[in-house]
Amino acid sequence: MKKVIEVNGLYKFYRVGDSVVRALNGVDFTIHEGEFCAIVGTSGSGKSTLLNMLAGLEKPTRGEIIISGCHIEKMKENELVKFRRERVGFIFQSFHLLGTMNALENVALPLSFRGVPKSIRLKKADQMLNLVNLSKHKKHFPNQMSGGQQQRVGVARALVVDPDIIFADEPTGNLDSHTSEEVMHLMQKVVREQKKTLVMVTHDEHLASYADRIFHIMDGKIVRIEDNREIHKEEQQEKKKESEEKDHEKE
Amino acid sequence: MNLIDLLRMSSANLKRRKLRTFLTVLGVIIGTASIVVMISLGLGMQEAMYAQVEEYGGLTSIDVTGMNSYGGGYYFEDSEQSDPAKYLTDDTLEELKGISHIEAAVPRLTAEALLLKGKYQGWVTLIGLTPEGFAREKIELAEGSSLPDPKAGELQMVFGNGIITNMYDKNGGGGYWETGEYPDIDFMNDTVFYILDTDAYYQTQGNSGMMGENGEQVKPPKKHIVSASGMVDGTPDDYNMHYYDVYCDLETLKTMLKKEFRGKVIPGQPSTSSGKPYNYLVYSSVKVYVDELDNVDGVQEAIRALGYNTSSNIEYMESMKSQFAIIQAVLGGIGAVSLFVAAIGIANTMMMSIYERTKEIGVIKVLGCDLKNIKQMFLMEAAFIGLLGGVIGNVLSYLISFVINRIVSAEAILGVDGSISYIPPWLALASMGFAVLVGMAAGYFPALRAMRLSPLAAIRNE
Repeated sequence: MKKVIEVNGLYKFYRVGDSVVRALNGVDFTIHEGEFCAIVGTSGSGKSTLLNMLAGLEKPTRGEIIISGCHIEKMKENELVKFRRERVGFIFQSFHLLGTMNALENVALPLSFRGVPKSIRLKKADQMLNLVNLSKHKKHFPNQMSGGQQQRVGVARALVVDPDIIFADEPTGNLDSHTSEEVMHLMQKVVREQKKTLVMVTHDEHLASYADRIFHIMDGKIVRIEDNREIHKEEQQEKKKESEEKDHEKE
Repeated sequence: MNLIDLLRMSSANLKRRKLRTFLTVLGVIIGTASIVVMISLGLGMQEAMYAQVEEYGGLTSIDVTGMNSYGGGYYFEDSEQSDPAKYLTDDTLEELKGISHIEAAVPRLTAEALLLKGKYQGWVTLIGLTPEGFAREKIELAEGSSLPDPKAGELQMVFGNGIITNMYDKNGGGGYWETGEYPDIDFMNDTVFYILDTDAYYQTQGNSGMMGENGEQVKPPKKHIVSASGMVDGTPDDYNMHYYDVYCDLETLKTMLKKEFRGKVIPGQPSTSSGKPYNYLVYSSVKVYVDELDNVDGVQEAIRALGYNTSSNIEYMESMKSQFAIIQAVLGGIGAVSLFVAAIGIANTMMMSIYERTKEIGVIKVLGCDLKNIKQMFLMEAAFIGLLGGVIGNVLSYLISFVINRIVSAEAILGVDGSISYIPPWLALASMGFAVLVGMAAGYFPALRAMRLSPLAAIRNE
C-alpha cells in the first residue's frame, strides 16, 4: 500500500519563560492510503501540535514529515499554502464556515482559491452536499443551521477539493453526543466510499474507535497503536449478514 | 483566485458592515469634494483669466518694440559709445517677414494729441494703424461708424468709447471723474478740434509773452477739425481694450506729423546726436501675429535675436499660470487635509475589519487561499472605499460647484464673465484616481498585516 504520511523523529519544543516544554518528543509513524486514523490523547499530550505540523501550520523543531513524497518541514509559507490548497482538506472543531456565504458557497470556497470557474465549482459543491445529506439546506446560511448540519457542510468543504488527506481537529468537539455519532458515521462512510485518508485528533476514546488505527499519544510520544481493522471488518460482515438475514425474512 | 471572485469577496465584506462602510466612505466623499471644490475655484479664476486674455488680443500676438525705448514711444538717444538703438522702421517689417510662422506684422504709430471742444479739453493717444492692422485688431464699432479711410486726405478718427471720460473743463470745472457726469460732447457730429504740436500750444497758452526756449517767437499751433469716422461700440460704462484709444490711419498720421513738425523733432521720435530729426518716422510698436500658440515662444526668440524688445500675453500668462499654480496648490492642500483624515479613517476601518476577521483569515489560509490573494482582497476593499468615496465626492462637488456659481457671480468678485468654480473632466478623473490611490495606500499596511496573520492563531479554539 502507498504511504501517504511518513513521520520520522519529530520533535517540537516550546520555550515558556525559562523552561522548555517538549510538546513532541520523538514521534515516528506511517499512514497508508485510504486509512482512517485517530490520534488520541489528553489535553496537553501534544496531539494538536502533531496535527498542526502534519497540516503545515507549525514548523517542527527537528525531524521530517513526508506527505505524498513532499518534505513539508522544508517548505516556505506560500509553498505550504499551495500544498494545502492542492492536497489537503481540513475539518475544524468550531466548523469555521464563513458567515457571509450560504452552505453551497462555503463548500465551493476552497475551489475558488484554485481559480475554478463559478459554475463548475458550484456544481461540485452541490454534489458534495448531496453526499453529506444536506440537499435541503444548500441555500441556508451558517446561522440558519444546527451544529451538526454546519459540521456536515465542513466535511463537504474538506471533500470538495478531492484531497490526498483530510485532517480533522476534534471534529465533534462542539457537538452533542448524538450528533457526534452521526458525524462520525458520515466521516467513516465517506472515507470508505471515497477511499480517502483521514487523520483525526480527539480526546474521546469512544469516538476514536470509529478509526481503523488509533495512535495513543502521551507527553509527546506515541505510547500505543491500536489496530481496529480486523474488528471493523468483522462488524461490517456481521452487519452484512444481519441485513441479508433480514432480507431473507422479508422474502 | 480570479479577479471576479476576489471582487465578490471584497464587496461582500463591505456589505456586511454597511454603516461602518458608509461612514468610512463619507470621510472620503468629504475629502474628495473639498479637494475638487477648492481646486475648481482656482481653475475658475484661471479660466476667467484666459477668457480675459483672449478678449484682450489673444495669445498668439507679440508686441515688438525697439531697443532703448521706454514707455512705448519715448526714445532717448544714449551717448555714442553705447549700442546703436534699434528702431522699428519699414526695414524692420521686411526683417520680420523673414521669420517663419509669422502671419502678419502690423506697425503702429502713436502720437499725443490734445482734443478741444468749447471749454473742454483732453489728452488722447492717437494710434495709427494700417488697414491690415484694423482688420487684425477687430475693433467693434458702434452703429453708423466706419474705419478711417486711408485715401480721405484728412485724419479720420475712431474714438474709444471711454474718451469722453478724458475730457475735462480747462477752467477748473473738472471732468467726469470729478463731477460724475459725462461732458456733453458728441464726437461724431460736434465740431471738435485737435492739436498735434501740444508743446507749442502750451507755450502760447501759458505766458502771454509767447517766448520759446531760444527766445524765438513761438507760433500757436494749428488747430485741426476732427473728422470722426466712428466710435467704438459700447457706452462709457463698458470697459474694453479700445476704451481710451483714438485710432486713425497710419499713413495719414505720418503725413500729418511730418507736415506739422516740419524741420523739428516730432515728440516721441528719435533725433540725431545734434538734435536733428531723422528723415523717416519710427514706429512705436509692431504687432506680430503668429500662426500657432506653440510657435509664439520661438518667434519671440527670433525677434529678440534681431535686437528688438518683445512682449506678449504669453509671458503674462506664464506668470499668471505660476501664480495660479500656487493658489491651486494652497487650495488643494487645504482640501487634501480632509482627504488625509479620511485616509486615516480608511486605515482604521481596515484594521478593525482585520481584527474582526482574524479567524476568517486564518480559515481561508488553512483552506489554501494564496497569501497574495489575501493581500489583494483587503487592498481591493480599501480601494473600493476610495473609489466609492471618489465617485460620490465628485457628484457632490458638481452640486456644490453648481450652487456656488448660482449664488456667487464671478463678475462681482473677479470683474470678468464666467463661473467662479469650474470642474474640468480631468479634475474629476484625477480626483477619483487619487481617492482610489489614497484608499489603497491607507489599506496597504492593514492588508500586509492580514497576509502575515498566523493561521494557527486564527483557528485556535477559544
